[in-house]
Amino acid sequence: MTNRPILLVEDNPDDEALTRRGLRRNHILNEVIVARDGAEALERLFPADSASFARPGLILLDLNLPKVDGLAVLRRIRADERTNIIPVVVLTGSKLEEDILASYRDGANAFVRKPVKFAEFAEAINTLGMFWLLLNEAVPD
Amino acid sequence: MSGRYQSNEPGTGEPQAATSPGQASTLPGDRPDCVRQGTVPDVRLPGQHGGVTVGRRPLEDSEADGGMPRLALLSAIVNSSDDAIIGKTVDGVITSWNPAAERMYGYPAEEVAGQPVTVLCPPDRVGEIREILDTIRRGERVVHRETVRRRKDGTAFPVSVTVSPIYDEGGQLIGASSIARDITEQQQARAAAALRRRADDLERANRNLETFTYSVAHDLRTPLRALAGYSAVLAEDYGDALGEDGRGYAERIQAASSQMSALIDDLLRLSRVSRAEMHLQTVDLGAEVTRIAAELQRDDPDRRVRFAIQRPVQARADRALIRCVLEDLAGNAWKFTSGRDDALIEFGTTAAEDADVCCFVRDNGAGFDPAYAGKLFQPFQRLHTTREFPGTGIGLATVRQIVQRHGGRAWAEGAVGEGATFYFTLKAGEIA
Repeated sequence: MTNRPILLVEDNPDDEALTRRGLRRNHILNEVIVARDGAEALERLFPADSASFARPGLILLDLNLPKVDGLAVLRRIRADERTNIIPVVVLTGSKLEEDILASYRDGANAFVRKPVKFAEFAEAINTLGMFWLLLNEAVPD
Repeated sequence: MSGRYQSNEPGTGEPQAATSPGQASTLPGDRPDCVRQGTVPDVRLPGQHGGVTVGRRPLEDSEADGGMPRLALLSAIVNSSDDAIIGKTVDGVITSWNPAAERMYGYPAEEVAGQPVTVLCPPDRVGEIREILDTIRRGERVVHRETVRRRKDGTAFPVSVTVSPIYDEGGQLIGASSIARDITEQQQARAAAALRRRADDLERANRNLETFTYSVAHDLRTPLRALAGYSAVLAEDYGDALGEDGRGYAERIQAASSQMSALIDDLLRLSRVSRAEMHLQTVDLGAEVTRIAAELQRDDPDRRVRFAIQRPVQARADRALIRCVLEDLAGNAWKFTSGRDDALIEFGTTAAEDADVCCFVRDNGAGFDPAYAGKLFQPFQRLHTTREFPGTGIGLATVRQIVQRHGGRAWAEGAVGEGATFYFTLKAGEIA
């Protein structure tokens, strides 16, 4: 179990609210840091002042993002030894084959499509939280 | 291409010496290696006629600059041309023939002199020669007409032809000159350019389609999650305040969002099967249907449905795509037999005149009104309400798309309450 924060990279405020609700409802109480585009995600992960770097326990990454797209963010994460150990779950609206393949190639740990049905969406968030934050042995500090 | 003639603009040239048209031997006093078969008229194009006037003054008068006989100079020009330059009578009898004509058509001058000009054109174009001669007789020219001519060996080739009437000094029409250029290379270049343009257009269209598909896949569903999500939140958090009706409305919002999500998925699938690369191999369709039947039963264990599946049914197909077809058809049969206790779904083959393999999927379910059979395969067309049977109306459009990509066809037979049979044809697979 990890108490590290979740970095949610999500530009859509509705998806953000529903994800937060899904986590809260399932008693996943880790802090949720939100980055609303790819550039902001990179600023969070690679701050100019490296002392303020706080490694998230899980990154939930949307693909279709303003400024820097999700795959570019993923590649930066995997290219840096401070971040390449963080589990990254691509959580996006599509399940286009090319997106799935590209995500795994670029080093995603999982690919989950956000279901439209809210019950399924909440269940997906719950499962992700349970697995990556509770069940999975986190990277040692 | 007729620039050499046209350089002598109407009224600018004096009528000068030439031989009479029709002379079919080397001219005295000329260099034999340059001048062959030479009716090489001094030419000008009078405004009235738009034709060529041939002077009949003696050769001695036609000294060109540099001391070369005028006629010899013109002969040399004609003989060095890459265009076939041919003289003919108004009746179309060939009277002169330059070396380029010999190269282009393959007839030596001696052989072709005195022959009708129709020997130079494919049999189906003889009428065109007649029409050109009619034009000449009216005193008009034929300019840069693109057509087809025939070599001695029978092969055809594309040419651009300009034909002009030839007049004597008295203004009497005495024949025609024709200048033909082989435009095989131009046509090939033109065709290649057109092909390149089409390839570019296609690539652009494909890129646009990919962008569109990507956007549909990513963005169109986002608002649906908000609709479904917040209506669920409303029902959860404010269920008491909403009351029974209100909760029902919230459920309807969720159901409609799910339906639209399914529509988007099916449209993306239709788009994918239209573009997917095909890898043809021999597939046992009977084995595929058996697998699909097991999956349907597993997902809906309470249903009792009997399957009668012919095996093996070998056909040449892309396995993933043909599986989509069989999933859609078997899935439909499963869905539309849901009201029956004695549901039966059959898969097999039947004879067809126009195909190696004709498969069918038959059920004894709800069936359809044959009057609407043609609409079944159109996207978004449904013969049942979603309340009766859920669906998006895209499955059969996908089926037809895939079958057509395999070079086959798909159709349906049925009657209300008497089940439906869906047929599709494929090419034969290798016998296993």
